[in-house]
Amino acid sequence: MRGPRATVERLDQPSAYFNNRNKRRRFDNKDQRDGDDDTNMQNDQPEEDPLKDAATIYVGNLSFYTTEEQVYELFSKCGEIKRLVMGLDRFTKTPCGFCFVEYYTHQDALDCMKYIGGTKLDERVIRTDLDPGFTEGRQYGRGKSGGQVRDEYREDYDEGRGGLGRAIQPSRRDREANNYDDDHGRLR
Amino acid sequence: MADYDRRGGGSHNPKKRRFRDDDEHDRRGPRRRFDAPPHVRVRKQLIAIAENPMRPWHEEVQSIATLFTDNWEDELLRGNFVDLVLQLAVEQPLKTPFVAAVVLLANTTRPEVVDLLLAKIVALVEEKIGSGEWRDVKLYLKLLGCLQNCLDGEGVFPVLEELFARAVDLQTASSEDTIGTEIVKIILLTLPYVMAAAPGQWVQKAADLMEKTEIIASEPQTLQALIEPYQPEGEEPNPPQSQSLIGLLQSQLQNEANNGWALSCLPRPWDLPIEEVEQRSKLDDATKHALPTITIPEAVVAGPRPLFPEIYFSVYANQEVESVPPLNNVAASLIRDALVDTINVLHFNRNITARHLIDLDCYFSPRTFAARATPFDKLREIGPNKSTWKPEDVAVDAVFSQLFQLPTPEQKLVYYHSVLTESCKLAPAAIAPSLGRAIRYLYRNTPRLDLELSSRFMDWFAHHLSNFGFTWKWTEWVDDVFLPDAHPHKAFIAGSLDKEIRLSFAQRIKNTLPEPYKALISPEKEKDMPDFKFANDDTPFAAEGREIAGLLKRKAEDEEIDAIIQRIQSQAIDREIDALVASTDVFVTCVLRVGSKSLSHVLAAIERTKDRLADAGAASDAARAQIITATMAYWSAHPGVALSIIEKLLNYSILTPETVITWALVSRAGNTRGEALSIAHIYEMVFNTVIKVTGRVRQLVVKPSSPDDADETETRDREIKSMRNLFAAIEDALASWATGSKDEMIEASEGEGNSEGEKLVRQWGARWLRVFRRRAAIEEAFLVEAEKERARKAAEVKQNGDAPQAMDAEAEIQ
Repeated sequence: MRGPRATVERLDQPSAYFNNRNKRRRFDNKDQRDGDDDTNMQNDQPEEDPLKDAATIYVGNLSFYTTEEQVYELFSKCGEIKRLVMGLDRFTKTPCGFCFVEYYTHQDALDCMKYIGGTKLDERVIRTDLDPGFTEGRQYGRGKSGGQVRDEYREDYDEGRGGLGRAIQPSRRDREANNYDDDHGRLR
Repeated sequence: MADYDRRGGGSHNPKKRRFRDDDEHDRRGPRRRFDAPPHVRVRKQLIAIAENPMRPWHEEVQSIATLFTDNWEDELLRGNFVDLVLQLAVEQPLKTPFVAAVVLLANTTRPEVVDLLLAKIVALVEEKIGSGEWRDVKLYLKLLGCLQNCLDGEGVFPVLEELFARAVDLQTASSEDTIGTEIVKIILLTLPYVMAAAPGQWVQKAADLMEKTEIIASEPQTLQALIEPYQPEGEEPNPPQSQSLIGLLQSQLQNEANNGWALSCLPRPWDLPIEEVEQRSKLDDATKHALPTITIPEAVVAGPRPLFPEIYFSVYANQEVESVPPLNNVAASLIRDALVDTINVLHFNRNITARHLIDLDCYFSPRTFAARATPFDKLREIGPNKSTWKPEDVAVDAVFSQLFQLPTPEQKLVYYHSVLTESCKLAPAAIAPSLGRAIRYLYRNTPRLDLELSSRFMDWFAHHLSNFGFTWKWTEWVDDVFLPDAHPHKAFIAGSLDKEIRLSFAQRIKNTLPEPYKALISPEKEKDMPDFKFANDDTPFAAEGREIAGLLKRKAEDEEIDAIIQRIQSQAIDREIDALVASTDVFVTCVLRVGSKSLSHVLAAIERTKDRLADAGAASDAARAQIITATMAYWSAHPGVALSIIEKLLNYSILTPETVITWALVSRAGNTRGEALSIAHIYEMVFNTVIKVTGRVRQLVVKPSSPDDADETETRDREIKSMRNLFAAIEDALASWATGSKDEMIEASEGEGNSEGEKLVRQWGARWLRVFRRRAAIEEAFLVEAEKERARKAAEVKQNGDAPQAMDAEAEIQ
């Protein structure tokens, strides 16, 4: 799309996640990112790149405690934000560590990939990915317990994301809570 | 293009990808054993050229050249090689001399390759001149300059002379020309590479050329005063100016010419060791090629980026030991130029940019720099004839020169933030102390730094700290905490802490600060939600406020709210206060209260009440101003939230830009005897508003339109007019603060007018004024250019009567 392959990799490319998703979904319908809307996936046309003009960014690895205002402050550095949708736990309706940032222009979204993805917000390295656009329903976690799938079986203690994975939490909670790594998260 | 050299092998990995896979597990399995085809190996090696400091340059360039010429029959390789060389020249400019050396060596066995290259580069140079992409022109000429030794006749000189002739035309035609100076800059930056590539041969030619460029290079540029990074000190009639980049370059090159063109910082990878007699003589006897003529069009264009004069900016000036090249040394300009190009070109991969910056000593001649990560204190111990230039300082200096470029740098400011962050992550022990010294320099100079730059500094500083656990040696500025609030140092501290808190939260930031600073963070900042003033019965209209908040919460009918508003207004009339202001204050405060949980809540609340808000705002100027007052008051502990809300209210046209300007520069500044001018978020609010207005005007004036669309012309003219009015209003309000003739100041001073506080306010006024005068001038310049462009296109359309084609061309420019 921009002439010959650059001599260094570009950071504003969609992740492998997105590229492989369409392929994968054929045999594994459950393996989608949290908040993916099933209905808009029915009639995919592989020739049309859904990210061609994408102005939305999926943001991952946020702390559950990070507020909209913090996201606003950081992501506005790439352009005015049109809309911000926080990812919520399906059951408790509390933040569960991701969000969608929608800009007014595609260029702002690309710049966000280049300059903000992989930097820190609230002292966590956050992940950004180009996204075809938010649709209702995608704001909720798809894990069994209501949060993101990745937080179900997570074996490391991540204080900013509710400690251990929820599916393994009850059995280990007592043991682990005493020796977590302090500078990972914070108490509020 | 096949990706043989990519990792992963392409096969589907049955294991599900999980978080952190990339970092913690190597899923590749045993390395496959196969030799990649030559075109892949050449590509890989050429791209990585000079990156490995352990590998002697002459070996590396020879081995790539041999690999290439040995596989000359490989068509894929032959085709790709030239394209890759040209691509590297504009994508990784630090490597140009090394890539050129490979070409020079390839020329000894396969001279055809140079002909292929020259044909393509000439076409590219012409194309880039045509579209005004002057940096690309410069970078291709740099490659040609390095190839001077394999060019026939005078090589690159005729091109430089032709370019110069065009520059002279431009300069004589208009004293405000910027393209001509840009061209001269390109000539002066190409010259050293030619002289290094072909030592001793072109001294007279160079002298002739430089004699000619002198006139243009030493001429002060029209807009230079506008883009000075430092505020001129008030009383002096002719404050000393920083040196323009081009003037500096001319005098540095003159020094170099007097020194026999030593150019000791430039790498010469084509210089083979003495023992390689055979290769050396082959190089000397290699075929020379005629450089095809480069035709330069009659009319040259400024290109996609408006051109401004450039100034040499350094945060390491005047140190006891030179840690960066001094201003009289051409190395200062050559290294800076190569680094700045690298930074701006590689915006799409900040990690690689940072890598190049950290490795910069790989790309210049050995002994140009001191050893990496030498502490500044140890520079003093370096022997007399050795370099004390710290590579980290040189790298950091180059990034700051862009971050602090006026009027605007090429990329978004946050890109330069990210480059510094990555550099710091790659080599913390080397970069962090250099950054620390840069921060101290900037902090020390913050009172005289241009206010826009001072604000960029603050923004970067807070953002940078947020990436590194908010650690800073605050103790060293502890005395400044006790300065008056309007002192620039105190204002910087307060502004930075606010920005840090916005990216984090108050308690966290408080914990990073020494005791005296903690008082600067009020307890309100630690509350999740601001207090609702109507919860307190002593507040006028407390009952009404609570009632409206309740109604808003349950999304009651408009009529119910109307009734209460009426009640407030009639009570206000009884108390002889402005009824519209009173009811607006209550209503806005209630909307904010209902939306206090998060920005989405408040935006939803505004969306539901936007008609009433718009009506309230339209009712009177005072009521409209009250919307801002109420917002700033409700969110006084978190001005960042207030500013976001005000931005959205501007989008809804509930507020107008004029309201914001008047509120900040007349009311707010007036109520505080001008001290509000020292508050960072007040500046931010006005600056953002101005950027919003000018951004919209810019969009309108470059929008491709049919010349006789009356509607569009009208909208455009209307918006331009209101932008000019806005700038006039700003000028009006600020001029009186800057001169101290504001009523509030005269009253306060009781005729005296020289107290410390008033002096500070006058300084703030002058700094603000400079920023917005510059903005106004730049927008006017933009309008002039856009007008020219529209006229040109209109003429084009008329000429060939081929509207669809003209539309295509416009679409491309967009």
